[in-house]
Amino acid sequence: MFALEFPPINEVIRWKDVFSSFNKVGIIACLAALIGVTVFLIAGRKDPMVAPKGVRNVAETGVEFIENQIVMQTIGEDGLGWTPFLLTLFVFIYLCNLPGIIPILQFPATARMALPLFMSVIVWLIYNGVGFKHHGLGYLKSSLFPPGVPKAMYLLVTPIEFISTFIVRPFSLAIRLFANMLAGHMLLVTFALLSNAMLFAETKQYMLKPMTILPVFMLVFLTTFEVLVGFLQAFIFTILTGVYIGQAKHPAH
Amino acid sequence: MHTATVAHLGAGGFRVVFSAEESTATVPAPGNTAEAAVPEKSGPSPIAPEKYELIWALGAFVVFALLMRLFLFPRLKKGMNARYGKIRSDHETAESTRAAAESEVAEYQSALASVKAEAAGRIDVARQTLETERTARIAEANARIAVRKAAAVAETDAAMAAARQSIEAAVGSVAERATELTLGKRPDPATVQRAVAEAMRSGVNS
Repeated sequence: MFALEFPPINEVIRWKDVFSSFNKVGIIACLAALIGVTVFLIAGRKDPMVAPKGVRNVAETGVEFIENQIVMQTIGEDGLGWTPFLLTLFVFIYLCNLPGIIPILQFPATARMALPLFMSVIVWLIYNGVGFKHHGLGYLKSSLFPPGVPKAMYLLVTPIEFISTFIVRPFSLAIRLFANMLAGHMLLVTFALLSNAMLFAETKQYMLKPMTILPVFMLVFLTTFEVLVGFLQAFIFTILTGVYIGQAKHPAH
Repeated sequence: MHTATVAHLGAGGFRVVFSAEESTATVPAPGNTAEAAVPEKSGPSPIAPEKYELIWALGAFVVFALLMRLFLFPRLKKGMNARYGKIRSDHETAESTRAAAESEVAEYQSALASVKAEAAGRIDVARQTLETERTARIAEANARIAVRKAAAVAETDAAMAAARQSIEAAVGSVAERATELTLGKRPDPATVQRAVAEAMRSGVNS
């Protein structure tokens, strides 16, 4: 007999509360913030005049990565003031993605909707705030009536731009991150359960146990792949935030 | 007969049992699959965000973002800027030192070239002086040699003339005596002398 039991979805993506109202997502979010603060705190205490190494090297690499690969590419030099926010966003998301492959935790906090949703809302508030701050009501005009479009086309373009800029963007940001991380997590769970079920199956099918190598291989491969996915999703979320802020700041571009 | 029994555990969970024995499932499914109906367990939506997750995550993020904005990032960036400034200033110092060294090398090379030119000029002048002196000395030596040669030639000529006179006198005397003994009378000495002189001239010339 070979039995494969896939637990209810809430057992896969939730954890028992540590205490009332504090579960795995809360633990991972707090740990992510704590690790981020600790890393940058330690890095800030190292002698800055010598060649950076260890924690300081990691922190400086992160800062330069955000500045050169995100801020300068999407907003420009006048957007360097957004580096701390974008750096926080990137580090927080990455550290919330990473527990998906860490034993015991084994769950990316971003695979729950709460985290991507509130970060998307924050991003939405920020880029719209930047637009209104820099252009006043002209931001609405430049967002809804893009220049260079024939006037008759505004009947079609304006509703699309409104839905795209003010409604869809936060949802697309949130759902992209949530869905990717949840899908990765479910794949890992599936192959882990399959490996377990095949290895401990009570069966006379002598080929079944050696065949366990296949789901185990997939499990190892997907675990490695999730490291990349975690980084990539954090990068995509952060660079899109930069793009939205840049567009709100320089709508003509 | 092989059978597969699927039991729903509720909220997306399920259990599949593959067995070679007859299934005990209550509701057989098409083919070899039988499905056991289990009441759905109610639970929170896996997609909907939970209020407490939102609060904890938002709280953690906001604290992290504020600390990063107000304290962590400025401190790190200040250190980075100080180091970059020092590296830039060190580069500039190294650049100016290199430029100064290059100008000193150029100055040295120009001085060396002028010294070499001056040395070459002096060598030329010395060579010309030596050449002039050598020519003068050679001319002087040649003149001395010519004088000595002329004196020697004159002396040799005089000696030859004296020897010739002496020989002519001796030959004349011998010729006079021989003629006297042969003819019994003494020939005119002037005639004998003239004949001897002619004979010796022709003998020397031939």
